[in-house]
Amino acid sequence: MEVKIAPQMSLMDKLKILADAAKYDVSCSSSGSSRKNDGTGIGNTVAAGLCHSFGADGRCISLLKILFTNECIYDCRYCINRRSNDVPRASFTPDEVCELTMEFYRRNYIEGLFLSSGILYSPNYTMELICETVHKLRTVHRFQGYVHVKAIPGADPLLIQRAGYLADRMSVNLEMATAEGLREMAPNKHRKTILKPMRQIQNGIVENKNELTLYKHAPHFCEAGQSTQMVVGALPESDYQVMSVAESLYEKFSLKRVYYSAFVNVNEDKQLPSITAGPPLLREHRLYQADWLLRFYGFKVDELLTKERPNFNMAIDPKADWAVRHLEVFPVEINRADYRLLLRVPGIGVKSARRIITARRFGNLTFEDLKKMGIVLKRALYFITCSGRMMYPTKLDETYIVQNLTYQNQMGKGERLPFLMDGTPYRQMSLFDEGQMLDDTRNFVNVCSSKTTGDSRITGNSVITGDSKITGNSVITGDSKITGNSVITGDSRITGNSMITGDSKTEGVLYTA
Amino acid sequence: MEEKYIICEDSLEGIFTAIYDAYALREGHERLHVQVGETDNYRLFATYLHSQPDFGKTEKVVRTLQSRLGEHVYGSICRAAASDGADKGDAVYHTVVDGITDGHGERTMENLRNPYVARTFALARRTANEVNHELEFIRFQELKQGILYARIGPENNVMPFVMPHFADRLAPEDFMIHDENRGLFGVHPARGEWYLVSGVEQEAEEMQEVVQYSDKEQQYQELFSLFHKTIAIKERGNKRLQQQMLPLRFREYMTEFQRREDSGS
Repeated sequence: MEVKIAPQMSLMDKLKILADAAKYDVSCSSSGSSRKNDGTGIGNTVAAGLCHSFGADGRCISLLKILFTNECIYDCRYCINRRSNDVPRASFTPDEVCELTMEFYRRNYIEGLFLSSGILYSPNYTMELICETVHKLRTVHRFQGYVHVKAIPGADPLLIQRAGYLADRMSVNLEMATAEGLREMAPNKHRKTILKPMRQIQNGIVENKNELTLYKHAPHFCEAGQSTQMVVGALPESDYQVMSVAESLYEKFSLKRVYYSAFVNVNEDKQLPSITAGPPLLREHRLYQADWLLRFYGFKVDELLTKERPNFNMAIDPKADWAVRHLEVFPVEINRADYRLLLRVPGIGVKSARRIITARRFGNLTFEDLKKMGIVLKRALYFITCSGRMMYPTKLDETYIVQNLTYQNQMGKGERLPFLMDGTPYRQMSLFDEGQMLDDTRNFVNVCSSKTTGDSRITGNSVITGDSKITGNSVITGDSKITGNSVITGDSRITGNSMITGDSKTEGVLYTA
Repeated sequence: MEEKYIICEDSLEGIFTAIYDAYALREGHERLHVQVGETDNYRLFATYLHSQPDFGKTEKVVRTLQSRLGEHVYGSICRAAASDGADKGDAVYHTVVDGITDGHGERTMENLRNPYVARTFALARRTANEVNHELEFIRFQELKQGILYARIGPENNVMPFVMPHFADRLAPEDFMIHDENRGLFGVHPARGEWYLVSGVEQEAEEMQEVVQYSDKEQQYQELFSLFHKTIAIKERGNKRLQQQMLPLRFREYMTEFQRREDSGS
């Protein structure tokens, strides 16, 4: 007997439920696969991928990202579709998925299909449904665009293999960085069952490559490789742990991408952290920056983080952070340094490093040339020379460079973050975690609770929100804004037009102008 | 010696003919300039010559560029010539000089120290970026006859670069892309070769009345708009990033940004 909860659900209603349920999956790339149309149907793929639209959250919409069904037999704490949740449930039929994909694709709304699913009855049953759908799309509709499907952990290896021959990319979500974390969050999932299909897909890709060198027309197996994603911020795992896992996935499982997903507490589960301040977007951003450093810039995790320093500096990006801690390498001579060294300079990316290498064959480059080539000089100028000269006289000094880089940030001219800093409290800035750089002569924004001990000198226009504790003799000059419950002990001197609101306590002698 | 300006038509043919004419003068390249379109600011002590687009000369230039500079440099030159930069004629001309006369050949585009090459590089990138955007943001609508029809309003002349992509992707479809800024149509008959139609600006005005959409068109537009709205995570809302990635000027033509009177649900 088949029980249907909502037999007369329209395609519109289903799409609403099943797109909504799929939105927390991060992966949306359509890259890695390059295929011409063979003339029997519509579609091709472009190696670099295409983003067909951008949602109100600024994320790219490249694929029709849907769940086949949001019914699920599992009860993962972080998941909106867990068994114990009372949410409207729906399931597509294979034909409906095909129709949506084909009609959206013809109109150039999408680059292809991203098909995931809740676990209906069993992993095998679900995986079979996914296979059937994609098989129909590929054979009946002759769809040659991009297809990304999830491998359901615990499904029969034969089904996974079948899906691999139909899809461009497959992914198995690692969910949590640590095995213990996964056990805690998803009692029905195990690290082992997740890694098993991942290994199978990896081996499948290697075998397929060998096959393709022998037989040019052999079917492709996951041409665009595989990816995975981890939730960050749900458990107290460190950036070091997360990045180490990512590194080993790249090295040992040859993944194409690892995605990081800032935790959103959709279930308001009491055991999970509440994120009244919003998802930890800045942390997620730093992880992605570091991920790029691993994949394209030749960095190793151990260079960026250590056990003693397990988290990224929230004030400056990981590459600049590495650079200021390795000033012995700098300044780098643009007209002589090799590619790998150029890549280590903040403000020089993969493309601009290549341009430098090719352009300098024609003669020595000047700062003016670099500017035209797209090098971000305001970041690079502390680390480079052109024909032995620096752009401006600067100090090769950690504090000085950090001050200048972060000063630009506060002026809105520095690092371009993909979101506004204002009004989005992030976790504590690690500027203060390490008890360094307390003598700060610059504008700084300190959001959230912080503790500054020792004699502080804060000049420039500062904004301090959240519960701050500043002890020692402080000097705050410039127009500062301090909101939240701050405690400033010791003899403080605040000059300039400062605004202190909230229950702030200043002990000791306070001088204000 | 005085400066000479060769004024040419704003087209690939026009610019290439002007380059041919410039070489035919056999004078120093540094005093010769190619100017696209009439200038309203004539310079004293400069001679202005006019160049008429010529198919034979264009063909010779194309052949020379392809064989001497290679496909990569030739592609960059074509993209720069399709851009909306007012100084594109001169940039392209002197890039050709750098490649052929100065002999940098296939590596010409790497010589970014040459300001003309740098400018050609920048213009070519500008066109390439917009081409890429149009590949992503073009929205087809299905007409009653089953033809897919799309309107675009690009700053650069992207059509020659956009058509091959869709001709491959939508090989079994009849489709047509309409560049409203240039009165230019890219037409692709199903399983056939694509071609360009221009000079139908008059008809373009009436276009809106002629087009009638298929019965299912409205439904799919609503489905996609719903999908577009649903897929965003509320907690991560970031309109600024959205606008950075998807500039407002494209939205006029995009299904999901049209205001709907009856937006279903």
